Amino acid sequence: MKTKKNFLSSVIILTILSLYALFSIFPVIMGLLNSLKTDGEMLNNMMALPKKIQYMNYVDAFDKINFFKSVFNTLVVAVVGVTGMVIFGAMAGYKLARSKTKLSKILFALFIMSMLIPFHSIMITLTRISKNLHVQGSTLGLGMIYIGLGVPMAIFLYHGFVKSIPYELEEAAIIDGCGDFKVFFKVVFPLLKPITATVVILNLLWIWNDFLLPLLMITDSDQYTLLLSINMLFGQYNNNDWTAILASLILSMLPVIVVYLVLQKYIVRGISEGALKG
Amino acid sequence: MSKKQKDIIMLLAFTAPALIFYLIFVLAPAAGGMWYSLTDWNGLNPTYNMVGFANYKEALFDDMVFKKSVLFTLKYVGYMVVLQNVIALFLAVLIESRKKTKMFFRTICFMPNMISLIIGGLMWMFIFTKVLPFIAENTFMKFLDQSWIGDPNFSFYAILILSLWGGVGYLMIIYIAALQGVPKAHKEAASVDGANSVQIFFKVVLPMIVPSITIGIFIALNSSFKVFDAVYALTGGGPGRATQVIALNIFEEAFNMNHRYGYASAKAILLFLIVFLITLVQLKIMKSKEVEM
Repeated sequence: MKTKKNFLSSVIILTILSLYALFSIFPVIMGLLNSLKTDGEMLNNMMALPKKIQYMNYVDAFDKINFFKSVFNTLVVAVVGVTGMVIFGAMAGYKLARSKTKLSKILFALFIMSMLIPFHSIMITLTRISKNLHVQGSTLGLGMIYIGLGVPMAIFLYHGFVKSIPYELEEAAIIDGCGDFKVFFKVVFPLLKPITATVVILNLLWIWNDFLLPLLMITDSDQYTLLLSINMLFGQYNNNDWTAILASLILSMLPVIVVYLVLQKYIVRGISEGALKG
Repeated sequence: MSKKQKDIIMLLAFTAPALIFYLIFVLAPAAGGMWYSLTDWNGLNPTYNMVGFANYKEALFDDMVFKKSVLFTLKYVGYMVVLQNVIALFLAVLIESRKKTKMFFRTICFMPNMISLIIGGLMWMFIFTKVLPFIAENTFMKFLDQSWIGDPNFSFYAILILSLWGGVGYLMIIYIAALQGVPKAHKEAASVDGANSVQIFFKVVLPMIVPSITIGIFIALNSSFKVFDAVYALTGGGPGRATQVIALNIFEEAFNMNHRYGYASAKAILLFLIVFLITLVQLKIMKSKEVEM
């Protein structure tokens, strides 16, 4: 009786989970399936497997969204942004945690304050300031803006982590005659690796998937990030040229999905840590 | 130089790089936004006039489009906070009850969270405008043939489905972590006392994960008040302005339509005040919870 009931509840649970899993991948599967068809074939039957695989849609997509160039531009933004956040965030977070002065408390509060400000509340003036400083319009400049926007969260995470590592190691290095910067980069920074991984993962994902800021900052199509190129698709293709559009979507999704499947463990851990501490 | 002076110099040296970027790209725009919200600046003219709180008055009392976008956002927030949390917690409980298939389902259900809502939105547009009508035509599910994007009644649900598709996985991860923190002994003890699994969940597990639920509710509140990408990709705020949300309204006011930077800034400050208020309430509730534990 007991096992029979267990079996039944297992079947029900697995059915519900499978239905939700199907909902999760349904758009991706439909996109993939139809991106490999001709337009006529797609309209004829959207659910069927392609009769003959149409690679040309993908060749076309590579070209239309300027795939390699767009990925490269996105990477430039992400690398500049994340590197800045990690180094500047770790430096500030470390010193703010170790310094016992009143000033450090004020500075820390000043950084944390901004986590309350929604991006949409500063975007208008940010656009003007960026234009005046000539950081608008380039991927490098965009990366620098991300440093400013992301560094408070990085400081917050580093600040919390530094408090958990013992002071003795630094003390030993200071007695050996190391200066503050040397102590930090030689001794402390390597110890921060676990939290650095979290900071890198969270911010890489954020920058990779962020749309509005690049939309406001980049106007030259040579500098387009992947999402900006995708945003332009509907202008370039006929609105009903879905097979080609879907090929572009699948293509631009691929990097994130591959990274996710390979590094899933770290990504999931980073996200739950970031959410619970932030 | 005294030790204290040296400490302060070092503190400044270590924080200066972060502080400079933060000042230029966050604090200055925030302060500027507040200043411009009191002016009639159009973003182009070098000169502008102070208009006091006229922009705020206009946004709150005379701007029907803005008012509609606030109401639409509130409706969206209400649905999202409840559905995103309930579905995420429900999934988390089911997934945690599995052994062999746990990883598989977690991987699949979280995957949409990795995909930008711009890309996801365009894929769902394909589903709504092409695939669902096709399914309706060829199966018994005739009800699927709706004007999902063109009819405001249905486009609200289209936006909701897209947002849940992208957002549930995130909270699910948080709830899975919370459920793993519930000691097995508690559940076993209740089981020995004859409680069934539903009773165990509501009487033993749920009270222990209340802090995570608080976090989940505020994450959902915060993110759905600021919703932009999902609406932008799927409906662009249309048909007409039927699905325009606050962030999109600010965006259009400043960049697409009238270039009324001053007026748009006032709306942006109002959005900030809403989010700020929510966060204050959140901190208060979290603090009182900590005391209890």
